[in-house]
Amino acid sequence: MTFKSAVITFPGSNCDRDAVTYLEDLTAGPVYKIWHEESTLPNVDLVILPGGFSFGDYLRSGAMASKSQIIKDVVKHAESGKYLMGICNGFQILTEIGLLHGALLQNNGLKFLGKNCFIKKRNRNNFNKSIDDDKILEIPVAHNEGNFYCDEDTLKDLLDNELIAFEYCDGQYSLDEANINGSLKNIAGITNKKKNILGLMPHPERAYQKYHSSEDGKLIIESILS
Amino acid sequence: MNDDLILQHGLTLDEFSIIKNYLKRDLTIEELGIFSAMWNEHCCYKTSKKWLKKLPTNNEIVIQGPGENAGIIDLEDQDGIAFKIESHNHPSYIEPFNGSATGVGGILRDIFTMGARPIATLDSIRFGAITTDKTRFLLNGVVHGIGHYGNCIGIPNIGGECEFEHSYDFNNLVNAMAIGHVKKDAIFYSKPKTLGGLIVYIGSKTGKDGIHGASMASDVFSEDDEDDKRPSVQVGDPFMEKLLMEGCLELMASGFIESMQDMGAAGITSSSVEMASKGNVGVHIDLDKVPLRQPLSAYEILLSESQERMLAVIDKDNDDKVRKILQKWQIDYEVIGEITNTKRVVFTSQGKEVVNLPVDIIVEDAPEYDREFFIPRKRKEKTFDTKNLNLDLLIENQLNNLNYIDKSWVYNQYDSTVMGDTIKDPGQSAGVVKIHGTNKAIGATTDCNPLYIRINPKKGMKATVAESYRNLISSNLKPLAITNNLNFASPLDPNIMGELVLSIDGLKEAASYLNTPIVSGNVSLYNQTNDQPIKPTPVIGMVGSNLNYEKLNSNFFQGEDDEILYIGKCLDPSYSPYFLQDQLNIREMNSFNDLADTNLDEELKAANFILESSEQGLIRSCNDISRGGIFNSLLKMIKKDLGFKIEIQNLINLFCEFSAGYVISINKKNKEKISEISKKNNIELYKLGVVKKSTIDINNQKIDFKDVYTKYKKNFENIIH
Amino acid sequence: MRLKILIRLKSQILEPQGKTIEQSLANLGFKDLTNIRQGKLIELDVPDNLKSEEKNKLIESACKKLLVNEIIEEYEVLG
Repeated sequence: MTFKSAVITFPGSNCDRDAVTYLEDLTAGPVYKIWHEESTLPNVDLVILPGGFSFGDYLRSGAMASKSQIIKDVVKHAESGKYLMGICNGFQILTEIGLLHGALLQNNGLKFLGKNCFIKKRNRNNFNKSIDDDKILEIPVAHNEGNFYCDEDTLKDLLDNELIAFEYCDGQYSLDEANINGSLKNIAGITNKKKNILGLMPHPERAYQKYHSSEDGKLIIESILS
Repeated sequence: MNDDLILQHGLTLDEFSIIKNYLKRDLTIEELGIFSAMWNEHCCYKTSKKWLKKLPTNNEIVIQGPGENAGIIDLEDQDGIAFKIESHNHPSYIEPFNGSATGVGGILRDIFTMGARPIATLDSIRFGAITTDKTRFLLNGVVHGIGHYGNCIGIPNIGGECEFEHSYDFNNLVNAMAIGHVKKDAIFYSKPKTLGGLIVYIGSKTGKDGIHGASMASDVFSEDDEDDKRPSVQVGDPFMEKLLMEGCLELMASGFIESMQDMGAAGITSSSVEMASKGNVGVHIDLDKVPLRQPLSAYEILLSESQERMLAVIDKDNDDKVRKILQKWQIDYEVIGEITNTKRVVFTSQGKEVVNLPVDIIVEDAPEYDREFFIPRKRKEKTFDTKNLNLDLLIENQLNNLNYIDKSWVYNQYDSTVMGDTIKDPGQSAGVVKIHGTNKAIGATTDCNPLYIRINPKKGMKATVAESYRNLISSNLKPLAITNNLNFASPLDPNIMGELVLSIDGLKEAASYLNTPIVSGNVSLYNQTNDQPIKPTPVIGMVGSNLNYEKLNSNFFQGEDDEILYIGKCLDPSYSPYFLQDQLNIREMNSFNDLADTNLDEELKAANFILESSEQGLIRSCNDISRGGIFNSLLKMIKKDLGFKIEIQNLINLFCEFSAGYVISINKKNKEKISEISKKNNIELYKLGVVKKSTIDINNQKIDFKDVYTKYKKNFENIIH
Repeated sequence: MRLKILIRLKSQILEPQGKTIEQSLANLGFKDLTNIRQGKLIELDVPDNLKSEEKNKLIESACKKLLVNEIIEEYEVLG
């Protein structure tokens, strides 16, 4: 059966084309481009909320996108157990909708971070099941608000239910600190309890071609497809 | 009209009398505003035009040379590449965040106005010495502003340069370059096609941003702000620009519009005048129809530099269709006038004609000056003593100088990988992106050597062009064309004017010889505060390509035991100005020897050798040799734990500047093949050493690898804080 | 009627902006100015004919639905 996916575009999204290309290149199935004002999603296996500055990141990153017309159907899609992934601004939108725990604060260095970071898998799920436990992935980040925060109860919930998909880690020969932005428990990506929704700050769609600085981003789609 | 008012509008009394004699009547204040905007250096190049005309601007790949919003070159098949560099120097000194942000916004509009989708930006920024809080404030603000705008709109920043030097203490420079991709049959020009076409306003509402009007002419400002008559800083809204870009690109693809102009500097005035001039038509615009953010007078509307606005011409029948597309993107749209056959620029406000001028007097009759200039005197020859320098000191001097070390503090604040096509991000010899959906790589670099140009403007400029050329060659990119940004102090000083004239001459010679025409550019003069002029800073942005990205060279070492070689001629220390300045602390301009003349034939030969070897896959990594000599090139080539062990007869040669110099690393097994190519191209190959893990070893003197590499990577941040 | 809503990060959340401002002020000699936190202010018009209860309800609802993320922020209506 062909794997079908969709990418939502909000005003200010700027990684929508990248996400479409990523899915087209790696899933070989159809990829639908959906404008935020549409009211229904096509029947797909995976929806990506892409990175960018939806609605200018005004008020709070992701806040206004989380109230868009299409979101109702995105929530329905996720409730049916199918895959939903938010990358960067998409992660911020997922927390603003309330589909994922916590919130993303401004980086603790108070600066936008555009560079490669290193992450590894923490709790196994369908987004990372093909990745070796000790594999260090090198993937670009590009965000101003990536500093994951939640209260203690929520953190306990994340830990108890094994919802931490990826965490920042040291990179070989890297002079930079592992935790690039001050995230609680080095969190780079989390899932919901059903583990069909992933929010991830790094951009796997910028790390899968041979001319990219790494091809590690492939592993996430490979996990989903396997 | 009194003289003060005229002078405050930046016009000389002579210029004013030309206008009056032509019109044979008094001017309205709005008309004076128009001349003030259109006859300034930025719009009409009155000081530089005579010299700029001498530049080579055409060859077989140039589709559009200077004169449009951006130049365009042919990249085979249906692909065209649009690019331009532009300065936002003064606004970035007044308000670094917004000044630099709107600089990025403006150059991106120049690109998508041509129908091209922006695919990369670069930034050439210069600041004063880092010893003052003011410089730190400017650095932080400028980098934040460039990053904010580019990151938000989602165009990767792939390179540029960042230099610190005293002469920029009160005049920092911010030059932003953008590159776009356009299908050759989809290029848009500013020339309108039909009479009777509607002139439409697209984008943000007009406010008081950046109005340059004279403060004494208080009656021309609207009445609601008695307390603040100062021109306000332009504020950029990258979110709006993103919508505007998508909206405009969709409009242009729809075929519903005829032509487009960015309302950049001098806003609606310059865009409408240019439209009329290019099309040899007239324009009639009703200022009451212009969407406003706040109540404004006609004068203010004409001169407002509010950002994220476009002026377009459409056929009457397409009004509704255009409106509908822009509604989707939540963009303001208003019909504000029409194209006429009068060859006059007419603006009305409240039913009254406030401007009625022939296009010719504004454009054709704009002044052109042949200002007095001096040629620098011949320099006396001197020899400098380098006996007191030892290896540790030479290395320390580089590692403690912001101009020699890794600048990731700057570019890590930029998104360099958005759009997913970035092949080389900042910090390498050139930034490179792939044309989406093809194998074609486009690379670009910005360069300037102000010290060289002050010593000898013509030779210095040739050296700068050669450096850009080498930066592209290092990555196996074929250099194609140039955009330039001529930043100078006041041309009323004949010495400065001489620098302008002679550096253009150098640019002409080098660009002609290397077949890299100048297709777009910008001039920024009067960059001086009181008696402190900036060093002459004509920045070159050079674009090159490789039709197969897989053939590109890395600029980083690739594997242990690879052999390191170099080519080129080392300059004598006494003729290496940056060496003298940065290692021997020579500051007095008269102390330097004349600059060595760049041998362009040697540059071509060296380039051919690198390109041929690269195409055969023989070069594992390559970097050119410039400021900081071989040693600095080697530092830039370190990747992860891959260092180097080298030997060189004269240690000083590691730190001196070069002519046609490159450092390369190769797999040992390819040594013979590469020496054959070098012989064929008449190039002398010199052995330096090998790539070696966790090592910096020079003439058997071991240097702490981790210490040097950490300082190279991290000292920037330590020094600026 | 014009209302102001002050939105701040909750007190338990580290707020590096405030810390940075505090440091900069201290560098300028303002060592006695401490515990700095930065927030945002939203100004809006509310219909005059609303009863105070209705007005409070309207504001609360707008805050909860969009203006404030209660996981990290708290708000105060300044009147």
